[in-house]
Amino acid sequence: MEGGVGLTTTQPQGQPPPVAEKLNQKVVQLLNLESVKTRAVSLFKAISRILEDFDAYARTNTTPKWQDILGQYSMVNLELFNIVEAVNEVSQAFVVLPKNVNAENAAILPVMLSSKLLPEMETDDNSKREQLLQGVQNLPIPMQIERLRARIDMIEAACKNAEGVLGETRKAYGFGTRQGPSMLPTMDKGQAAKIQEQENMLRAAINDGAGTRLPPDQRRITTALPPHLADVLIVNDAGKNAFHVASNNINSQGNMMQVSGTQFMGRSAASPSGANFDNTRSPLPYSNSPQSTGMVNAPSPQQHQLQQQQRSKLMQLPQHQQQLLAQQQQQLRQSSMQGLGQGQISSLQDLHGQTQQKFQTLHGQHQMPYSQPMGHQQFQARQLSGGHIQHSMSQGQLNPAMNRHLNQFSGGANSNMFTSAQGSPSSQMIPNMSSIQSQTLVPRMQQYGVSGTNPQRSHASQMLGDQMYNSSGMMQTQSQQPQQQQQQQGIYGGNMQTNQQTLQPNMLQNAQQRHQNPQ
Amino acid sequence: MECVVQGIIETQHVEALEILLQGLCGVQRERLRVHELCLKSGPNLGVVSSEVRLLCDLDQPEPTWTVKHVGGAMRGAGADQISVMVRTMIESKVSKNALRMFYALGYKLDHELLKVGFAFHFQRIAHISVSVSSVNKMPKVHAIDEAVPVTPGMQIVDVTAPATPENYSEVAAAVSSFCEFLAPLVHLSKPFISTGVVPTAAAAAASLMSDGGGTTL
Repeated sequence: MEGGVGLTTTQPQGQPPPVAEKLNQKVVQLLNLESVKTRAVSLFKAISRILEDFDAYARTNTTPKWQDILGQYSMVNLELFNIVEAVNEVSQAFVVLPKNVNAENAAILPVMLSSKLLPEMETDDNSKREQLLQGVQNLPIPMQIERLRARIDMIEAACKNAEGVLGETRKAYGFGTRQGPSMLPTMDKGQAAKIQEQENMLRAAINDGAGTRLPPDQRRITTALPPHLADVLIVNDAGKNAFHVASNNINSQGNMMQVSGTQFMGRSAASPSGANFDNTRSPLPYSNSPQSTGMVNAPSPQQHQLQQQQRSKLMQLPQHQQQLLAQQQQQLRQSSMQGLGQGQISSLQDLHGQTQQKFQTLHGQHQMPYSQPMGHQQFQARQLSGGHIQHSMSQGQLNPAMNRHLNQFSGGANSNMFTSAQGSPSSQMIPNMSSIQSQTLVPRMQQYGVSGTNPQRSHASQMLGDQMYNSSGMMQTQSQQPQQQQQQQGIYGGNMQTNQQTLQPNMLQNAQQRHQNPQ
Repeated sequence: MECVVQGIIETQHVEALEILLQGLCGVQRERLRVHELCLKSGPNLGVVSSEVRLLCDLDQPEPTWTVKHVGGAMRGAGADQISVMVRTMIESKVSKNALRMFYALGYKLDHELLKVGFAFHFQRIAHISVSVSSVNKMPKVHAIDEAVPVTPGMQIVDVTAPATPENYSEVAAAVSSFCEFLAPLVHLSKPFISTGVVPTAAAAAASLMSDGGGTTL
């Protein structure tokens, strides 16, 4: 270390009081004490600033910007290293003595001034020395030195080799000297393609639902529902419930028929059953004999399939339900079965769950009383659906009359049915039965609400026929109707002018027309 | 309205992503287990079919239902400049009768998904939610216990933040700046744009999972 300690005193020594001693100018220049001091001060300020920032973060509970902090830290770190180097140089030039000895540091001064190592450091030092001179302690000193030197050379050689190997491997892997790998690890094409494909699948599943849709034949709830759905969805005995097939299949007959067939059964309203219609057997192909207890005749291809499936579904049900549903079916048939287009079915499905509930209270015998009192007017009213209901209502308070009639018959049990039916205005069939006040029928059903004239003429076809013949008559009797309703009926009337035999296709067309009309 | 970005991550790196998110967000993670039922309206209900999603949060002791309608995304030159997707979204909590009501209205089940994973919700200029989940489909209707992942080796990362028409640009900026922090592990982009995985994700994951290995001075 160059530059010894040079003290020059400007005044003769020994004179009280001793003045501040100045250092040798050369030393000062060499060591650049001023700059070291300023650097130390600036470092101190930087560190305190960072600490303040941390305090602020802690107080306000915000997350620090780690990039900034790391940057500051690295800067401070570098500065610290430089200063420590400079200070090392400086401190070697000086000897530090405590100037003030007072009560505070009197106790600690001897310890600080002693050059003896701390006990732990001393033992540490000893053990290291032992380790080092293990083999060579016995030999004379020059030989010890030689041996140690040989050891150092060997270690140096090993280090050089290791470094050489590291450099080679770095080159082999393309590592830079300080940066990371210069080329990114690429996946081979196959792997990349697989990942791309998986990604597309996943994104499509999340955003579109692609790949998660079940085929139509699997869209039945066969397993037990999870707890959060168990009380939301109602499942009836047959395992079908208010579950709906997606709209894509709305026109595919097979699918819809399957699903709708069972649900249809629950939907049919209670209406005059068997007894009245025993006498009438329609010659028309698509009318069903009301006498058949459970099975539905298939009058036409479309009906055929529907009823076949209904029949198959009927078979699955337990007996009492079959009976119930059969009766319901008969009533349903009267009102709207024929020509029911496939598009209509979807609108009926959702009522299944509710009607199922409601119809649990129905008993077979209750349906009978309904039929008997049905006079001309009442039957007509009953058969009418939404739009046509207005016809009947304007005929002079039909509904109260009908209600009165109905209420007469409703014993305890009947009233249950009646009130329960009234309680579910959304059901389509129930209004047919009793609560005509509730005009909440799906518009599509309107076209099938044929106003019959005779309770015995239960078939829709017959009713249509009647309407054909009576349409003008009806229009006349319902002279109070607003124009709109007349037009509605006019449409039907017009359609019904065609051949009775071809009524069903017309009804189908009508259905489709109506299908589009409300929209 | 919401700002949303999506990305994919390999299942092996999900744990590292969780550590990264824990460090960035500063909140506890929440388990995510959502049964999503997507209902579509049939052609009888309108000219254009509409879609409604019912989400049932199965993680709570009492399942909570949410109805969500996702609309179309913002389009145009302005939208192209924003790196997140801004789209209309309406969400509301509903009672468990919502499903029955939608069926009664004429909606039909289009598809259903089960999402299992975790999520972080925190506030950084906007209320940002990050969720990492595996998407499962059900082989039978509503058979949650039999759900299998659509892509076993890959999970989806969703970053969403609700926005209003007045502040969506700030929210979008907040979301995109947050996404930069996740860049080492996952590339995030608008939902219908595929991104691929991050090639160096393995190295980033390794560094996140290790305890750091500090050097002593």
